[in-house]
Amino acid sequence: MPSSWQRQLAKSITRIENMEIDALAEMAQLPLDNSSIHVIGVTGPPGGGKSTLCSQLIQRLAKEHKVAALLVDPSSPYSGGAILGDRIRMQALGANPNVYIRSLSNRGHTGGVSSSVVSILRTIMSYGFDYCIIETIGAGQSEVKIASIADTTLVVAVPNLGDDIQAFKSGILEIADIFVLNKADLPGVDLLYAALRESAQKQQDGWTTPLCQTVAIEGSGIDELLASVHMHRQWLNEEGRLVEKRKQAAKFEIIELSSFMLQHHLDQVPADILATHLTRGEFNLLQRLDEVYRELIISLGEV
Amino acid sequence: MPIRVLMAKPGLDGHDRGAKVVARALRDAGMEVVYTGLRQSPEQIVHAAIQEDVNFIGLSCLSGAHNSLFPKVVQLLKSEGAEDIVVFGGGVIPAGDIPGLVDAGIEAVFTPGTSLEEIVAFVKERVNRQNA
Repeated sequence: MPSSWQRQLAKSITRIENMEIDALAEMAQLPLDNSSIHVIGVTGPPGGGKSTLCSQLIQRLAKEHKVAALLVDPSSPYSGGAILGDRIRMQALGANPNVYIRSLSNRGHTGGVSSSVVSILRTIMSYGFDYCIIETIGAGQSEVKIASIADTTLVVAVPNLGDDIQAFKSGILEIADIFVLNKADLPGVDLLYAALRESAQKQQDGWTTPLCQTVAIEGSGIDELLASVHMHRQWLNEEGRLVEKRKQAAKFEIIELSSFMLQHHLDQVPADILATHLTRGEFNLLQRLDEVYRELIISLGEV
Repeated sequence: MPIRVLMAKPGLDGHDRGAKVVARALRDAGMEVVYTGLRQSPEQIVHAAIQEDVNFIGLSCLSGAHNSLFPKVVQLLKSEGAEDIVVFGGGVIPAGDIPGLVDAGIEAVFTPGTSLEEIVAFVKERVNRQNA
């Protein structure tokens, strides 16, 4: 059974997800630059095996480490509700006291994760985890926000979802620190490997994107993948790259919190009256926003 | 704030269409529903419920094991200090068993033929009562 600290963590996450002001204020005090945790993002198309892969990664890592996992699924565009079904692939992990798993709805956020994910990460970091794995929703070409949040981003690709031109396009394939060619037992994996190697693999600043083949459901290729993950972490440890990564995560949070705060305050204005003025051209909203934000940035510069 | 529900299949019963239908109805009513799959033990269900910080657990059982498994979930929630999580159940449950289940802490039992509206209404009304 999960110990009481897990219950406490679960409740904290709920309060942050619900954007409770006092919970957000508490977690703002928790640092993001904790270097004893490795944040691993896992993204890729729906049905590519992300959850199964995450389950395998967690299983291996949890033998000797404390591992947290945040599993994101999309919310309904009609009702705002969600079916959170990633946990199903992780039944084997139930009993391990080193593991904390939480399913999250993206609550309409379009980047692949939820807007509170970095704030949740601050809380996770304060609980002494060695790893946090973040699984995005089944992602399309432009769900790339995970790269701004995770230290190491794994992009899962599977055979037969397109040809070399697909591999050549921009977006999600560009954000990979490591490519995972899952379902590598399927015919077509050689074509996938060749296409990614030719059109998507990058060499930047001393890091060449590894192409790891896995059959997640059988657990094969996982040790080699973890070896690449650890190598990437070593590369991040050099030249202050890890701090840069965490700054990017903080920047994501700035935008999300600003947007939430604006909405929070706008909700208290009689929206109808404001909208009427705006429709009649009686109020220059842009100018007002410009003034307010300029004042804000100046005051932040004094921090 | 979205209501969070865990839909669970305790025991060895392999039929989850009903659980999925209820999960979708709750989703359509704006709730976040975690579904943990087939063949879960009461321990696994309570463990997940605590990590997911759900408000409700919906238990579905078609194999007749409800009299032992459903109360076990309630007991475990209590021993973990999580008795604020509301448990409801459904499946193949004879009418005669329902009072016993309610006594054991299962707040509502929805047998075949119950409308989805009724189940959604139960959850919403229960939340309102909790907040009041």
